[in-house]
Amino acid sequence: MGMIGRVRSQAVDASKLVTDWMEHRTGIVTMMEHFLFEPVPKRGAWIYTLGSLTLGLISLQFLTGILLLFYYVPTTDHAWNSIYYIMNEAYFGTLIRGIHYWSANFLLAAIGLHMAQVFFSGGYKAPRELNWVVGVILLLLVVVIAFTGYALRWDQDGFWATVVGMKIGSYSPFVGGQTIRFLMGGDTIGPATLSRFFAIHVWLLPAALAPFIGIHLYLLRRHGVFGSEFEYTERLAKLHERQRLERFERYEEEDGEPNTGRRDRADRDGSE
Amino acid sequence: MTRGDFLGFGVLGAIFGAIVTIPPVAFVLSPVIKTDALGQSDVPDDWFEVGPISEIPEGEPKNFVVEFPVNQIYSEEEIINNPEAVKTEGEVIPNAVWVSWKTEILEGGKLGKTQRPAFVGEGGSLSQEQIQEVTASLNVMSSSCAHLGCPVRWLVREGEGLFLCPCHGGLYGINGEYQGGPPPRGLYNYTFEVRENGMIYVKHEFDIEPGLNKQQPYVV
Repeated sequence: MGMIGRVRSQAVDASKLVTDWMEHRTGIVTMMEHFLFEPVPKRGAWIYTLGSLTLGLISLQFLTGILLLFYYVPTTDHAWNSIYYIMNEAYFGTLIRGIHYWSANFLLAAIGLHMAQVFFSGGYKAPRELNWVVGVILLLLVVVIAFTGYALRWDQDGFWATVVGMKIGSYSPFVGGQTIRFLMGGDTIGPATLSRFFAIHVWLLPAALAPFIGIHLYLLRRHGVFGSEFEYTERLAKLHERQRLERFERYEEEDGEPNTGRRDRADRDGSE
Repeated sequence: MTRGDFLGFGVLGAIFGAIVTIPPVAFVLSPVIKTDALGQSDVPDDWFEVGPISEIPEGEPKNFVVEFPVNQIYSEEEIINNPEAVKTEGEVIPNAVWVSWKTEILEGGKLGKTQRPAFVGEGGSLSQEQIQEVTASLNVMSSSCAHLGCPVRWLVREGEGLFLCPCHGGLYGINGEYQGGPPPRGLYNYTFEVRENGMIYVKHEFDIEPGLNKQQPYVV
């Protein structure tokens, strides 16, 4: 065995030690397996990535949004200037804000496609109704975040779109007036309006969004994606049974060292 | 659990619940409480100068811009005038005010006689009778469309003019009356007065036409 081979086997041993250690203490490897390994039918596999696309775009929103906060100033006299600075002075400002802007636009399109896919494949039917409900809550949160983000630019476009949006809200029965005065922070549009939209866009709703995404993913994993056509739990049980049998066989072959913890594919194939 | 325990928990729960919820809710809703319950406004209850009546032409509205100060957060009057605080400019909310002479509308939408008093533009201060006559002949209108609040503009086509809202196509006549499109009513009118110097003054207040739509011009 040459030196490279020795180093490689040492590295494999070390990584196994680390993963086994982590698995024993946190169960993270089993968890990752459960979250990442999904048996997917060959036919139309790309259409099942729309949910991941949505999640990816939301993550982009969080990341670029946090970056924009380093320069953005939520006051009526400086908001526009600070965005001008981001776009013209800060390095890669156009890129960061561009990603925030365009991924917000694509996000709504991705959500539409995602919902269409779930709807036309009947993915909302029992026992997955609640995940549809949680998804609709997520949709509404995203729409309000998009609306409040538009105002933060404080340019003519964003300002008048905000006026129109708030006035639409003011036609709601009984609470129209209170809703709009809550959003404006008084009885006229002004500094309080921008501060409130900033608070709602940057903290309130993203903080509300995160747990609902967690519930959405939990329910997804609880019921799987593929329904009767491709029963996930059944499939996973078969997989685990096969793995158990294989381990058992090899334990008998190796005759000795107890076989615990995670084994990767190389182990199972016996090609060490 | 005894009846006494139950009542005790209930009373304690109510007290602690109130202690935990009332401050944050009142904190966030304080502008709503101040405007709705206490009737306060973010714009001072003063008269603001619009412009001279002599500049208003016949058969066409004239646009003036009035900058109303806004008392919100760092733009609160107390903070701006406080000598100990860092000098800040107060925020203003500019309102575009459309002013026109009341005009008769003839059959087919043509403009008829204008109620422009003959003494307007002669100079000199106005008498009480003249002020009354001018006040009765003026439309002082908000540019904020009664539909969803976009600013309307005066558009002349083939000699006939109308106020047009750029957002959804609301149309109003020269007196601010509803002509077409989605708005539920005509343009909002300011509370205004005319003084001896021939100037118009407005308050940040608007009429609500009874029976049409109780909608306040929430955004202006």
